[in-house]
Amino acid sequence: MKVSKRISQENILIVGFPSNGLIGTFAISYLIHALDMRQIEELDHPDLSPTLFVEDGEIIAPIRIYKKNNIFAIISDLPFDSYLAYDFAELALQYCKKNNIQKIIIVSGMETINKDSNTPQIYGLVTHQSLEETLYINQISKFLTGSIFGTDAAVISVFRKSKIPTLILYAECHPFFPDPEASIIAIVTLAKVLNIKIDTTDIQKKMEHLRIQRRNLMDETIRTLQQQKIENKSTKIPHIYR
Amino acid sequence: MTENNHKEFEIRITPSSTSSLFNDDVEHQILSPLSCLREYGTYWLLEFDLPLVNKKDIKITSDENSISIEAKLKETYFEEKFDKKTEFEYFKKTITLLGKIDSKKISAKFEKGRLEIIIPKTISSHKIIIK
Repeated sequence: MKVSKRISQENILIVGFPSNGLIGTFAISYLIHALDMRQIEELDHPDLSPTLFVEDGEIIAPIRIYKKNNIFAIISDLPFDSYLAYDFAELALQYCKKNNIQKIIIVSGMETINKDSNTPQIYGLVTHQSLEETLYINQISKFLTGSIFGTDAAVISVFRKSKIPTLILYAECHPFFPDPEASIIAIVTLAKVLNIKIDTTDIQKKMEHLRIQRRNLMDETIRTLQQQKIENKSTKIPHIYR
Repeated sequence: MTENNHKEFEIRITPSSTSSLFNDDVEHQILSPLSCLREYGTYWLLEFDLPLVNKKDIKITSDENSISIEAKLKETYFEEKFDKKTEFEYFKKTITLLGKIDSKKISAKFEKGRLEIIIPKTISSHKIIIK
């Protein structure tokens, strides 16, 4: 694997969690792997379903923080609803302040708009004017109109109120199936923004296997996202007005 | 036969509350594919995620109110848990729909390992007179 990079001065945080097409999870995991990032911390929350993973005899928490030079990465292997997402974002923000993070990049997925196109497109959304130039330089189409719901909306809401500018990269994908192909587009775009070179051969080779391996995570993610939709419907809209 | 244990890149995510073998039929080497059913004005769109499958190896059948798919994998898929290796050869799943299906009008498309089945709604309505 060839990874070449130019060290930039500002500290950048990249964030990925299970959402549409598992784009964020695939993209950030791959970047952690490709850059050989080192795990430095874990994020914990009392309301998070108690879960630990074991890998080669090592206990691993579901939400972890990695670092390599000026790049920090937060990845969650557990889907969470919008209520927990607020806390997740607040914890991430506290971490950013403590570590002098100057830019945040979230990678996520959105349902394909142009169904006739064979290549998934990527769209960018920024919380602060200062990142508009990043979109322009990297030729990322701006997410102009649409709605964002649930976990993504909660995380973005917290970040946009902070002073740290955030770029959200949305890759077009199939929302209900793991979509490593769309994740590759996100990885390539993320690498451009970070000014690093990433070889995506490894993930390309494993795309079909990843789609089988991650069926359950996708299934749990859909259940979590749909559960919050049901809860919102039943609590916020009185039946008499529907 | 190809083994699914590329060491170069292993995403460090493990299915959390359920085993990935939870819905699979280990004994008969059958995987349960992800599927989704969406309702549109005049039809239902039923999709199955079928990676590692060639179009010629997919069989779709339907009865009065359900659709079944069966597909042979182009290579054996392996899962390893607690040093036990499990092999899978097929995808298989049946989805039951609300209402009757007109089998003759169903169409299907297979692209990039995703099967799309369009099921037109059967309309059987009665005119209601407004008094």
